[in-house]
Amino acid sequence: MKKGGFQRSSTKRASRRRVIAFGAGAIAFISSFGGSGAHAEPPLIFGLTPVFLTNDLELLTKLKAYLSRKTDREVQLVQRRTYEEITALLLSGQLDGAWICGYPFAQFRQQLSLIAVPVWRGKPLYQSYLIAPKGRPVTGIDDLKGDIHAFSDPNSNSGYLVTASLLAERKLRPDQFFRKVIFTYGHRNVVRAVASGLAQSGSVDGYVWEVMSSIEPELTAKTEIVSVSELLGFPPIACLKTQRLSEGVELLHQALIEMAQDNDGKHVLNMLRLDGFADEPETLFDSIAAKMMLVRGLGS
Amino acid sequence: MNQEIVVSRLDPTTWPLSFKVPLLVAVLMFAVSAVVSNRVLSRLEDSQEQNLQQLASAYLDGLSASLIPSVSRADVWEVFDTLDRSRERYKGLNIRWTIVTNIEGKILAASDPANYPSDTAAEKTTLAHFADSKEVTLDAGNATAFLMRPLSYQDREIGKIYAEADIGSLLQERRDVFRTLLVTNLLLTLLLATVGYLAIRRMIRPVRIMSFHLDQASQGKIELIPEGVVTRQSSEFRRLFSRYNILSQAVNEREFLSVQLAEEEKVASLGRLASGMAHEINNPLGGMFNALDALKKHGTREQVRVTSIRLLEHGLMGIRDLVRSTLASYRADQRPRDLTMADLDDLRLLVKPEAKRMGLKLEWKNEIAEAVHVPAVPVRDAVLNLLLNACASSAENGSVKFHARVESGALVVDVTDQGGGLPAHVREYLERDGAGSVPLDKRSGLGLWIVKRLCDEINGKLIVVKSSASGTIIRLKVQPKPLELRNAA
Repeated sequence: MKKGGFQRSSTKRASRRRVIAFGAGAIAFISSFGGSGAHAEPPLIFGLTPVFLTNDLELLTKLKAYLSRKTDREVQLVQRRTYEEITALLLSGQLDGAWICGYPFAQFRQQLSLIAVPVWRGKPLYQSYLIAPKGRPVTGIDDLKGDIHAFSDPNSNSGYLVTASLLAERKLRPDQFFRKVIFTYGHRNVVRAVASGLAQSGSVDGYVWEVMSSIEPELTAKTEIVSVSELLGFPPIACLKTQRLSEGVELLHQALIEMAQDNDGKHVLNMLRLDGFADEPETLFDSIAAKMMLVRGLGS
Repeated sequence: MNQEIVVSRLDPTTWPLSFKVPLLVAVLMFAVSAVVSNRVLSRLEDSQEQNLQQLASAYLDGLSASLIPSVSRADVWEVFDTLDRSRERYKGLNIRWTIVTNIEGKILAASDPANYPSDTAAEKTTLAHFADSKEVTLDAGNATAFLMRPLSYQDREIGKIYAEADIGSLLQERRDVFRTLLVTNLLLTLLLATVGYLAIRRMIRPVRIMSFHLDQASQGKIELIPEGVVTRQSSEFRRLFSRYNILSQAVNEREFLSVQLAEEEKVASLGRLASGMAHEINNPLGGMFNALDALKKHGTREQVRVTSIRLLEHGLMGIRDLVRSTLASYRADQRPRDLTMADLDDLRLLVKPEAKRMGLKLEWKNEIAEAVHVPAVPVRDAVLNLLLNACASSAENGSVKFHARVESGALVVDVTDQGGGLPAHVREYLERDGAGSVPLDKRSGLGLWIVKRLCDEINGKLIVVKSSASGTIIRLKVQPKPLELRNAA
């Protein structure tokens, strides 16, 4: 699942705070993707969790170029290994926006606002897949008991929460149901873990699995879908609620919403296999919030 | 007989030099190439093992540096991910699989999780190939190298890396080098053996020339090596050939002198014969002169006249017989004719004076009834010389026996003396075919050499039937000439 968020930093205070933060040496942990440095305005800092595609660098370069051109601002892309790290950066105001997952959005709904929600196959929705090695005779989660199970990230909706909630319905925690759980911190890694036999089953973002099946069919061919969740809100681009109306976040919002109408934007969307970005209500993530509550109720 | 030939062929000492030397060169080349190949392969093996050790160390160094944080956190995915990615980086090592275990010996992750599942104990059979004390253990038979490295963090062992590498390509390279060495050495050896064979053949050509001439010489034809051939040789063989030619000339001269000596001996024999004959004639001559005196003085008396005439007649008859046999023996007409009984009996008259002079008793037994188809003159000469030799050898008051007969068509003459026996070399000389081409030796008389030469001329055989301190029996056996040859003659 990807998360993202564009932070709108319209207030000078927020902008100043961010500039100070970076000026104080935060650059050390911010990936630099070669901004021109010619913009007078402070750069827009946009956070990303590890992207699933193999040609990440190309995608990031093109995304950054599109956003820079569209916002007329220098754009810095920040990547971290886990959702938790990106979410922490976002919540601490070090990012203007970030592409996060629905689960962290539901967790920090009070502090976060939506900038835009990706549209895939015409809807701002996706599913979580339970996968197993190809040919394994399993039909549902109950057949996976005692497995080594691969999750993507403990803060991922499709890569953890959906399966955990299924087990919570059975009053079980993942560590009780599975023999061992491993976190691979990447949906593609979940597919790799299951395809190689490291894990006997895995929880993966359905959107990522589908895109991988067209890009790396030899890898997904070694896996098969055991069960599919209901449709859930697609990982959104979010920002701090306090910065939603800032100029920078608004520029990001505009750039994302208009991406489908721009040639460079279309190219980026094609690489992401998305239709575009749309404004969606926060209620889109209510079902995820419900799952979260269910799992929290079990104490996991 | 055949077996003897086979044994002799298998005996390397009997093989020709032109075969033995190239064979020796080839064997030595094989030995040298085997030693060199062994050294090359040994060095290659060392170098490959060293290279493998270095590669393995680099692999384990890189891997352990990446793995230690993940292993210390028991992060299954990170361990797997590190192993999976390292496969691309260390292609030169051809790793089949890698296992990382924790301190309890449980598999954290393996590059091949399907065969080595995580969270299971590593099987003892799998780990049995890894030596605890060695980082790299080789199993050339299975073309496999086993790599092991403990993982330590803050001076504490937290796990181990086990890896199995396919070293088939290294072994294949070794086999390729071995094959190349083998083929190259084989071809080189064959080439050198061929060159050696041809060179040796060329080098020993003078030996063959010398051998040919020595063979010829042993058959009685001592020929000099032509000067042109001598000058073409290397200095050593030129010297050898020159010395051979000098030697041959000396031998030829010696033979010439021997022939001359033989002639002289013949003349001497003739002198002895003449002396004997004179003595034989002298005896009746005395009686005849007495008879003549008696006739002169008392010829009128019937009794005296008759007796004197009888004595004269007997004396003249004895002289006539002696002259006749001498004429038969030494007449100029030497045309081949068959041997008759009389030819041999004549010899009795010729030998008798010598036997008498030596005080020997002559026992004569001639069983030749009709002519034998052997050449009369050389046979008579040979037998005469045998008889004279027997007379010379026999002790005083001894006897010399003569016995002639025909056995299976062949003429057989035994001459027996009562001498002290023949020396072994003389016996061997008489019995060896073709020995008559050269004289016997300085110590022996020429008589036997003449006998041997005559015998060789008529294809006769001399057999020493007995040779002891009490006497010797020498047998002359002459086969009759074939019919065609007789007709032609």
